[in-house]
Amino acid sequence: MANIVWMQTGACSGDSMALLCADRPSIENLVEHYGLNFLWHPSLTAEHRFGDVLDALLSGREKLDILCIEGSLMTGPNGSGQYDTWKGRAKIDIVRQLAPLATHVVAMGTCAAFGGVHAAGPNPTDCTGLQYLNNQPGGLLGADWRTRHGQPVINVAGCPAHPNTMTRLLAMLAENEPIALDTLNRPTAFFSTLVHQGCTRNEYHEYDIEDNVLGGRGCLFFNLGCRGPQTVAPCNSELWNGQNSKTRAGVPCFGCTSPDFPANRDLFVTPKIGVVPKFLPLGVARAKYMAYKNLARAAAPERVVKREMEP
Amino acid sequence: MSRITVDIDLNRVEGDLEFQVDLEDGVVVDARCVGTLYRGFEQIMIGRAPRDALVITPRVCGICGTAHLYAATLALEQIAHITPPAHAVQVRNLCLMAETLQSDLRQSFLFFTPDFCNANYAAHPLAAELRDAFTPLKGSVVRGTLKATRDVLGIVALFGGQWPHSTYMLPGGISQPANSRRILDSRGILAAVRAWFEQAVIGGRLEEWMALDSADALFRWQAAAAGRERSALGLFNRFSRDIGLHRLGRGTGHLLSYGVNPQPLGEARELPAGFFNADTQQIETLDQSQINEHVRHSWFLDYPGGRHPWEGETIPDHQPGSDRYTWAKAPRYGDKVVQTGPLAELRIAGEPLISDLLAREGDNTWLRQFARLRRAGWLIGAMSETLQAIKASMDQPHYIDPGIDIWPDGESYGLVEAARGGLGHWLRIRNGVIDKYQIVTPTAWNASPRDSAGRHGHWEQSIIGLPVPDPANPVDIGHIVRSHDPCLVCTVHFIGSQRKTHFNV
Repeated sequence: MANIVWMQTGACSGDSMALLCADRPSIENLVEHYGLNFLWHPSLTAEHRFGDVLDALLSGREKLDILCIEGSLMTGPNGSGQYDTWKGRAKIDIVRQLAPLATHVVAMGTCAAFGGVHAAGPNPTDCTGLQYLNNQPGGLLGADWRTRHGQPVINVAGCPAHPNTMTRLLAMLAENEPIALDTLNRPTAFFSTLVHQGCTRNEYHEYDIEDNVLGGRGCLFFNLGCRGPQTVAPCNSELWNGQNSKTRAGVPCFGCTSPDFPANRDLFVTPKIGVVPKFLPLGVARAKYMAYKNLARAAAPERVVKREMEP
Repeated sequence: MSRITVDIDLNRVEGDLEFQVDLEDGVVVDARCVGTLYRGFEQIMIGRAPRDALVITPRVCGICGTAHLYAATLALEQIAHITPPAHAVQVRNLCLMAETLQSDLRQSFLFFTPDFCNANYAAHPLAAELRDAFTPLKGSVVRGTLKATRDVLGIVALFGGQWPHSTYMLPGGISQPANSRRILDSRGILAAVRAWFEQAVIGGRLEEWMALDSADALFRWQAAAAGRERSALGLFNRFSRDIGLHRLGRGTGHLLSYGVNPQPLGEARELPAGFFNADTQQIETLDQSQINEHVRHSWFLDYPGGRHPWEGETIPDHQPGSDRYTWAKAPRYGDKVVQTGPLAELRIAGEPLISDLLAREGDNTWLRQFARLRRAGWLIGAMSETLQAIKASMDQPHYIDPGIDIWPDGESYGLVEAARGGLGHWLRIRNGVIDKYQIVTPTAWNASPRDSAGRHGHWEQSIIGLPVPDPANPVDIGHIVRSHDPCLVCTVHFIGSQRKTHFNV
């Protein structure tokens, strides 16, 4: 049995709603088969009031195995945290109190991981993530903060986080599986594949058949702001709601698992150097990429040029 | 006479809600809703490219992001005089209906009915049945709701890529057209959800239930079969009315709806927009210029009366110890306090059963919640019809590129019915970028503070006069507040602290 507390800070509830959409495993299965015991969830629990849960944890009557934080950590105004409170107390202070008690601390979603949409310019609430503000280590708890078992906050990034990524991570923690993390403390089990991988527009991308207006069948990377080739997330290898992904449906990937989401520029326009995107697929050298693209275009079969394939 | 002030916090309201109630001899004499979160969305929008609203505003709310996406899309289309093709309008409507159905079912059986398992009711004859059905994460109806809502959101994903937070509606249409596979898959999902709704929620055939046109017909139909009495709705009706929820929580009688399902041409909507004036019992044509927001009891720089969202100011002005108590503004329709949501939507559309129940018993906690499930039934039927219309329009374009490099300067708005009621986005563009973005959410209407004339908001009105025998377990307040389906994450102006003395920073 693992006690879990899910706390919302500056949130839209989207990660909680996505959690309800998880199907492998589902939240019911987490409770039934992985022994997760929700002491508190803002949308789901009915047995206890938050104050009672807080008292039980702080007094040591209940152990805290997993602390999930959903939402940006509002530090404003003037460092008081009063933009986001519970009974007059800054939520950031409650998070600071609870985090040292937890065996695992998980940032559920990009807001808790990196600040997210609320940290977009001009960051009116002075918000931050738990251990990062965008890609800068630090955040609410500080870069060097560790749980009592020596682990940093696990960043399950995404806006919202992918449903099955959240529940699988929780199942792994409940089973005491080791969690390998990438350089931004995202679990590599879910954050080593690009969104691009598995996109059904890939053949268009392969042959440089790029759309310049929305609503088409081609690739969205060169002109329409898609960040699929730079964004690590399971969106196209583990479909959303069991059905689909944004890029398959013709919606650019806005890079929502990345620390700089949402980018501070027109989100439907790809920044370019000459005719080539300024930001290339992860790890690619520009000169080689340009050579490859020129060849690819020349090799494009007619059925791809004519966009005969439905994504 | 003893007067005490009690602070109450509630979950299962989409976010956390806190409020203060003043009790005199155990009866609520005043109530103040306190939002506890300020997120600054409207400031984040300023200076951004207009289409960014399609990515950023859905993130205002995790449970009704599709409604925000739709409102933002309509506002952008209005400002640039763009008419979307019929096929796109039908797909947008289908997706918003799927989201609303999801919200209605989750609100009913994940947020509202868990209170029926409260220790207060342990001795009630229905207690065991209620626990079997409604215990969080374990009850049979809860399990069915989790599955049905998970499945129905697959329809949004089929057309829009994912739920929550996608951006498939675009000024000029949608990002991809329907095809046979998407339609067949959607029909399969909808058929399964319908079968569950008939078997587990109403305990009978949907057409039969939707044909019930009066309170008498409803209760006669329900009592005619044991399966209907035992169904989720039968259980909800029997218990709610036994504990008197149909006499509890009356708020304002004025109702507001922006109308459901925009039609491809013209201003018409499948369920019409309107304002139900409780004084005259007449439905008036909706006039968005009547919408205005007051700040007399809010922490904003004061101005007299109310201002239309395009004219509104949002200049923080914290005055501790005064009679201001929230950072929420108070929206009014003309000078009227209104409520919005499925009850308003169905009454303004003239739905016979809801109209009869409202005329007989007035608005109340049970009826608001019943109307939500009634709408769920309507949505299942309307989604089937919309899927047929989508199939019939597959040869039409799904997107017509408006060809805009620089967005025109001007003002516009987009109004939709979100799950919780009327949602409006008001937009101003200057020099090709967003100059002002104002969102008035359904919860802003329902949970508004007092206005410059001292009128309480709808939610506050519905609490005042309520006896609270046990402030430590204010179970009736929970029923009343949750029946308004408040979405606190969505109330974007909200800021504050219920201990004002702690807020002096």
